[in-house]
Amino acid sequence: MIRLGLRLTLGSGREAALRVLVTAAAVALGVGLLLAALAGVNGLHAQTNRSAWLDTAAQASRPTSTSHRLWWLSSTDQFGSQVIDRIDVAATGRNAPVPPGIRHLPGPGDYFASPALTALLRSEPANELRDRFPGRQTGIIGAAALPSPNSLIIVIGHSTRQLSQAPGAVEVGAIQRTPASCYACQNTSGSGPVLQFILAGGAVALLLPVLIFIATASRLSAARREERFAAMRLVGATPRQVSVVSAVEAVVAAVAGVVVGFALFFVFRPLLYHVPFTGAPFAQGDLSLHWIDIVIAVIGVPLAAVVSARLALRRVQISPLGVKRRASSRPPRIARIIPLLAGIAVLAYFDAAGKPGSNGGQLLELLAGFVLLIVGLVLAGPWFTTAGARLMANRASRPSTLIAGRRLLDNPKAAFRFISGLVIALFVGSAAIGALSSIAAASSSGGGSAGKDTLAEPFCSFSTSNCPASAKVPSVPGQVLAELRTTPGVRSVTVVHQSPAQPQQMNSFGVVACDQLAKTPAIGKCAPAATAASIGYFLSNVLGHNSHASSTVWPSAHLSAADIAKLPADAVVVATNGSSSAIERARTVLERAFPFQGTPVAVDAFDPSTARLLTMVQDMTDVVIVASLIIAACSLAVNIAAGLGERKRPFSLLRLTGVPTALLHRVVALESALPLLIVAAVAIVVGLVSAALYVHSQVAIAFSIPGITYWATVVSGLVVSLAIIASTFPLLNRMTGPEVARNE
Amino acid sequence: MSGTNSSSAIQSGRVIIEARDLVLSFGETPALRGADLSVRRGEVLAVMGPSGSGKSTLLYCLAGILVPDSGEVSFDGQRLDTMREEQRSRLRRDRFGFVFQSGQLVPELTAEENVALPLLLGGTRRQEALRGARAWFERLELDGLERHRAGEMSGGQAQRVALARGLVAHPDVLFADEPTGSLDSLTGELVMGLMTGAAREEGTTVVLVTHEPRVAAYADREVIVRDGRVATATVAR
Repeated sequence: MIRLGLRLTLGSGREAALRVLVTAAAVALGVGLLLAALAGVNGLHAQTNRSAWLDTAAQASRPTSTSHRLWWLSSTDQFGSQVIDRIDVAATGRNAPVPPGIRHLPGPGDYFASPALTALLRSEPANELRDRFPGRQTGIIGAAALPSPNSLIIVIGHSTRQLSQAPGAVEVGAIQRTPASCYACQNTSGSGPVLQFILAGGAVALLLPVLIFIATASRLSAARREERFAAMRLVGATPRQVSVVSAVEAVVAAVAGVVVGFALFFVFRPLLYHVPFTGAPFAQGDLSLHWIDIVIAVIGVPLAAVVSARLALRRVQISPLGVKRRASSRPPRIARIIPLLAGIAVLAYFDAAGKPGSNGGQLLELLAGFVLLIVGLVLAGPWFTTAGARLMANRASRPSTLIAGRRLLDNPKAAFRFISGLVIALFVGSAAIGALSSIAAASSSGGGSAGKDTLAEPFCSFSTSNCPASAKVPSVPGQVLAELRTTPGVRSVTVVHQSPAQPQQMNSFGVVACDQLAKTPAIGKCAPAATAASIGYFLSNVLGHNSHASSTVWPSAHLSAADIAKLPADAVVVATNGSSSAIERARTVLERAFPFQGTPVAVDAFDPSTARLLTMVQDMTDVVIVASLIIAACSLAVNIAAGLGERKRPFSLLRLTGVPTALLHRVVALESALPLLIVAAVAIVVGLVSAALYVHSQVAIAFSIPGITYWATVVSGLVVSLAIIASTFPLLNRMTGPEVARNE
Repeated sequence: MSGTNSSSAIQSGRVIIEARDLVLSFGETPALRGADLSVRRGEVLAVMGPSGSGKSTLLYCLAGILVPDSGEVSFDGQRLDTMREEQRSRLRRDRFGFVFQSGQLVPELTAEENVALPLLLGGTRRQEALRGARAWFERLELDGLERHRAGEMSGGQAQRVALARGLVAHPDVLFADEPTGSLDSLTGELVMGLMTGAAREEGTTVVLVTHEPRVAAYADREVIVRDGRVATATVAR
């Protein structure tokens, strides 16, 4: 029977060969996309694994067998818009652990830099970058320690006496080798659970649509195959034999598709290296396939094709007298929307009841809510499709809307299946962008261009409430102030002093003399006639404190300028003319003067590590949305081709009777566009609502509707999808020509 | 079958379709080699002939579906062979009805929606179109099948639904290409009886292609096509 199946598949003339070819081509495209998605996920994991050592602070709480430990302080620095990972180390003995990428630890006064940072150190003026780092470069960090070839990383050696006094420094007995699962890691390079969750979400959003597409492609031309199976039944083939022949056909097309899919992947893989999955390019070899990926493609795809073909056969009764479709399945019940509502209810509950206290509880809320919403959208999709189609069919006065509505009502699950991937991507994208735009809007200090041009160096006492006494800055040396003020491009320098009021609260962080505050308007102003102000948190942050400092009139503080000058310093604020040279020079002066106190950041910008995480999520969201659109467009095209194959005789006969092709075009367009538009709207609304509930419950900020870029991406994506639908019209014209009616 | 009175009335009727010296080839294969035919208003004409003789091709030329390589086809004084495709499509939609051998119903639509389709295409409002369609169900003995789909009906029922669709817009001419070709003889006779009866009541001209003498017997007149030409011998009843 297998031999007969092979002969029928390969030797039944041009039409059969063409059918196998088209199915194989669609499967090949799907396999190529699947391998690209798997390689992308592997690449992300490779990057994450290579960045794990940056989270070595997670080892601080773990016991160790080594006698010699390592003092470790990780922080993020910034040059322009680039983030520099800075690791300060000090060995307690010769056997102290050594990070990857270097043979030995840098001694006090030495540092090792990554190749990209080395190049930057050489090309940029010393007073804008190199002078921030104490000592001299004695080595280059190897590729094993670089998440990306362009990573900017520096490992600086110190004496234990020096580093052990630094705020935030910890003693570790080993280097972190796998992604850390700590929330309190000092380093925020991002290998923690939040990033893992984001990566997992991105992987699911990429892989699901591809798998759906492959299942769709392997079912192409099912109707024509079934007619042939009926003829086989007529000459005595048993249902089981028909089933075997069907499986053979499916496997032949799938195997051919897998072979071509691998070829496509290897040919186009160099281009994949340019896809900004996380904003950081992949290193050579990152986009490789694991053996399990190859097994999934080589065995899984043909197996899935067989299962898909078998399921397709179960939906029809093939008798010797022909093919009879089983009666239309029952319309989707309203109960299908329960998981979706439950997902929204979970997020609404946490919004009303407050976020869970533990990190695990918060992750559970996130997982439970979003998994319910994704499952809910997939389940509810056919119900929404049915609702829209019923409305359209019942009110239709034009034949095109009537036929399209009835077609959708006939099998809403199939109609939805082709766009389910896009729906998931739109949901994930809308939720991510909704949350990001809300955070960006709420966290901005509103300083305008002044906020971007004004640097603030928040000292330990400003940033944390448990700053050790040894780390506090009693005063800003006059020499530093003079150096800052004489730096070209620096307009003014303001010192914020620690508030004598205890404990610190968000609205009374420090005190500042009004004559100084007036020179740095980006952090707010004094009340009229006041001589000093009690100022609150004025930096951008993701905690939801809507500081909008520049427009804030801080309450008066009843202290004289002389009293304020005696108080410990809390932060130094430097207003510049906005030139990158002035900003970087001021940053270098501050970092050199106050080592281990953190990185000076623009008042209106996130700290570098937060900015990097947000950019990464944004980049990944863009990749997922664009990739899903491509896959959805391919699915739609395949679906239309399959649908036309099933109906080419009635459609061609309609054309003979004078029905204009424009009407058939409208039918095809409506059948595809209606579910696409309905469910896309639902996915976007659900995505934005869940983002609103999540950001409100987690970080207590108001929801902000995404900006024009998001809407432009969504609208242009939908327009591209509609254009792809329209691109199948010539196929419709050809498939329903008069000769079809005669020859069928 | 018609009586002598109607036959004589038709014979004196005006010619509605006229084909002169039609020649049409599909690639190297000639299908029509100088076919001539006149159809009078209100008559039921059977076009007979063996398989491959060119009778379906002749019907498609008469209906403006195919354009002959040479020769003339006129409908109601208008030249079909020189018309643009758009005009011919409109003519087919507004003035002609069609019944084919099988597979002509839109599978997603119910029987009544399939019948109402030509009315909807002509711009009739939905409810009115459905009312107009339902009137044909009793007439063609299809009561109770209004909400059935193509797959839920027998071949004879589906063919009667197709017939109702062909006649619902009151066409001037109904073209039927082997309308009983996929039916058993009993069902075929039922369909033919209903088709010719309804057409005569409506005053619709019928051009019927068939290779079955039993089917042709329902016509007022029959012509025989051989080797792409209409044989001179025609049979009037």
